[in-house]
Amino acid sequence: MAEAKHIPAGAQPGVPTPTPTQSVPNWVPRSSVAVSLTGMVVAGYLTWEHFTGASTFACPQNGAIDCVKVTTSSYSTIAGVPVALLGLFFFAALALLCLPAAWRSRRPLLRSLRLSAASAGVLLVLYLIWAELFRINAICLWCTAIHILTIALFTIVTIAHALNGPPRNHQP
Amino acid sequence: MTNSSKSNDATREKVAQMRAAQVRADRRRRIVIAVSAVGAIVVLVAVLVIAKLAGIGTPAKTAAGSSAASAAVTSALSHVPPTALDAVGTGSANNPPTVITSPALKQGGKPRVLYIGAEYCPYCAAQRWAVAQALSRFGTWTGLGQTTSSASDIDPNTATLSFHGATLTSRYVSFTGVETTTNQPAGTGYQPLDTPTAAEAALMQTYDGPPYLPSASAGGIPFLDIGGAYVSSGASYDPQLLAGKTHQQIADALKNPANPIAQAIDGAANAITAAICKTTNNQPAAVCAAPGVTAAASTPSHG
Repeated sequence: MAEAKHIPAGAQPGVPTPTPTQSVPNWVPRSSVAVSLTGMVVAGYLTWEHFTGASTFACPQNGAIDCVKVTTSSYSTIAGVPVALLGLFFFAALALLCLPAAWRSRRPLLRSLRLSAASAGVLLVLYLIWAELFRINAICLWCTAIHILTIALFTIVTIAHALNGPPRNHQP
Repeated sequence: MTNSSKSNDATREKVAQMRAAQVRADRRRRIVIAVSAVGAIVVLVAVLVIAKLAGIGTPAKTAAGSSAASAAVTSALSHVPPTALDAVGTGSANNPPTVITSPALKQGGKPRVLYIGAEYCPYCAAQRWAVAQALSRFGTWTGLGQTTSSASDIDPNTATLSFHGATLTSRYVSFTGVETTTNQPAGTGYQPLDTPTAAEAALMQTYDGPPYLPSASAGGIPFLDIGGAYVSSGASYDPQLLAGKTHQQIADALKNPANPIAQAIDGAANAITAAICKTTNNQPAAVCAAPGVTAAASTPSHG
């Protein structure tokens, strides 16, 4: 007979109740923090280039590849805020939300915040890819790195949430 | 163990198995949803890339006698290697923008570049290449047209672009392009196209001639007002240079600093870029500090 490890409120006494996995696999916090920190570095570089006029960009300028063109376009800001800075805040927030302790937490708010942030990030990435391809007509390699990292982070967070089960009310 | 307790154990076991199965099913469903969400994102990115490669979404708003500029021409024009522009410097271009003292010309809080020309005009045909290339360093073109100058004027059928319906998306400057006629004859002139506003016509009336520009070019087109700080009238090189060339040949020539077309167009573009930089407080620095631009900025008319 299976042994019950956890009996939630309302469970039938004596009947073992299988529970969702209590914590995510080890690779989840490790990879999500690593991706977030890498994103912070790249977004930090793009932010620095944004505020220094993109005068020292380590990026080729030929044909479709043109970082300066992308990062100095009107699509490089949203409501006056540089997209690169938004990216920096995004990855910093995700780095905190993806710490092992945060993954262990079952607080619904924390889980929702992490999933919402990752989803918002990937939606913004889709918009920026559209802008690069159809409005700016140039691709920025550093921005592409950010796009890949954001989609990777979204993948990790989404899969981890699926493995981790639905949110429950926090019980102290 | 009694029969009753055995029966209870069996029931509990069965319930536990059912719950375990339900938990596994729920987990499988969540994983399927998560993988689907990730897959949808990847598919969306792929669709965007494929649509771009297929040329979907390229705007086309052109006048009679014009067509949308090909993606290859627009790309070649907008992506001239900075090394080529720097190597050309002032090149063989003449007639750089002249510094003036007048109220700042702005739109949306940004310096405004006003171009007034016409599609039939061969001098406009020559100058548009330089204007379009210079502005591409500050933003992105959409809706550029592709046309030729009049078949019956001097330097006939000069391959060029058209600013009719074109939009420059830029953080640094705003652009207004006015093409007053097409290249299609109508009566004693050409078919009308864009009409300058009263304010735009007044700017041309005031600054397209003495004391700002030589009397020889008074009222001439193309007229260019760069942020109220610089004006120019006419072309910066002889349109004859482009005779017999296709749009693609001209655009492709811009990346070769030794090519006479690049010497003329890139040189003129550097001079226009230098003038625009004066109105944007030398932003973006990557453009305004480029050696080709600083070389052009030192020409006499740049003051």
